[in-house]
Amino acid sequence: MTSSDPAAGPAADMAPVALALARRLARGGTLWCLSPTWPHHARHVAVEFVHPVMVGKAALPAVVVPSDDPVDATRSLVRDGDVLLVVGPGHEPSLVDVCRRTPAWGVETIWIGAGDRPDAALADHLVWTDDDPARVSVDGRLILVYHLLWELTQVCLEHAGRQLAEPEPSHDVCITCADEALVAEVVDVTDGAAVVRLQGTTTTVDTTLVDTPRPHDLVLVHAGIVLSTLDEPVAAT
Amino acid sequence: MAEPSGFLYPMTTADDGASRAGDMGDLLDDLAASATAKAVESATTTAASIADHESELAALAAGMADRIGAGGRVFTCGNGGSATDAEGVAALFREPPRGRPVPALSLVSDLAIVTALANDVGFERVFARQLRVHARPVDIVMGFSTSGNSDNVLQALRAGHDDGLLAVGFAGDRGGEMAVADFLDTCLVVSSTSIHRIQEAQSALAFDLWGRVQDLLERESANTVHDPGGAA
Repeated sequence: MTSSDPAAGPAADMAPVALALARRLARGGTLWCLSPTWPHHARHVAVEFVHPVMVGKAALPAVVVPSDDPVDATRSLVRDGDVLLVVGPGHEPSLVDVCRRTPAWGVETIWIGAGDRPDAALADHLVWTDDDPARVSVDGRLILVYHLLWELTQVCLEHAGRQLAEPEPSHDVCITCADEALVAEVVDVTDGAAVVRLQGTTTTVDTTLVDTPRPHDLVLVHAGIVLSTLDEPVAAT
Repeated sequence: MAEPSGFLYPMTTADDGASRAGDMGDLLDDLAASATAKAVESATTTAASIADHESELAALAAGMADRIGAGGRVFTCGNGGSATDAEGVAALFREPPRGRPVPALSLVSDLAIVTALANDVGFERVFARQLRVHARPVDIVMGFSTSGNSDNVLQALRAGHDDGLLAVGFAGDRGGEMAVADFLDTCLVVSSTSIHRIQEAQSALAFDLWGRVQDLLERESANTVHDPGGAA
């Protein structure tokens, strides 16, 4: 291990991920940890943040999401402004399903994994090792990744915590004029309308242009109107 | 080093935005350099730990394979992050990516039992009491402690040893109590003062050990299958 790059793996890419996590924690967000494939890794992440091994480091709110039914559990637990950290291979179907819903919930996502990568658009941050996940998940290298994430997040909060806690500047962009359609998750359906979670806020939208959606469907919303219902992700065969 | 300036944008709103953005860029550069250095340190510590314990790992794997071949099971324990690492090692043996599944359980995973024992008997007995209930002399117990001093892990290893189990300790730094314990068959010490680097290297050591055990089990089953005396 003479060259730094192969040994460093994804470490060098982790600084902006830690900064993003620190920003949400500084603003009162909770870190949710989910790993249906390797539940002990989710527990290790949570204990790092709640009970740091280094004396004097801040205890931060991190919680393991029970992984028996990851989508329902995460939907119930997360709030606007939280962070969801998932640990698992890129093809894990429940992680794919959870991550495609997180924009509707107002949740920023970090996906730590190895092997084949998920669609890059699924998570806000991918921290990836391209080696065999069956090996990386047990030989200490995955543990290294979240150890470093914890440490860098602590540094961000120590050096810039007050600054990071300041509210996000308003972008003052009209999403109607910007012609931007957003993903929302249906909470409840009434005649011609639906209550949805949209960018972390619960709001009512018009559904007269589409077949009546069902609760938990993902829909594309533009200017308060549902334009389409998103298909279920196709299961890998 | 290239600055990921997109992440700095939200920092530039205040009136001293320019200097703030510069500070955050410096911070990100420092973080990237620090993370890279620590990743290299982790890889170096891991490789050195495996190399330093070459003979112990080989002998330990042989002892474990003998016991597993005779029906032995693996029990693991630890506290905090080491508890989760112990769960990971048990899962590795039980549901391996290749080779023979080996019955393995962590003593940390059943919260009803752990909290009942902690509440009624004492936290230092939570692993030892479970081991006394479950273990047979042919079994193996692996205890993880970055200091080598965790009382409940030490008590489990002692109870295991007293009951005839193969007792394996994973420690760090100078090994603490584990290094001088007379009830350990093998003590693998990661020579580092960083709890994080110790945990990473302990998992690597356990993975290396698992691979050696699997190789021995495969050789054993190949010998059994191809034994000409066994052919009809």
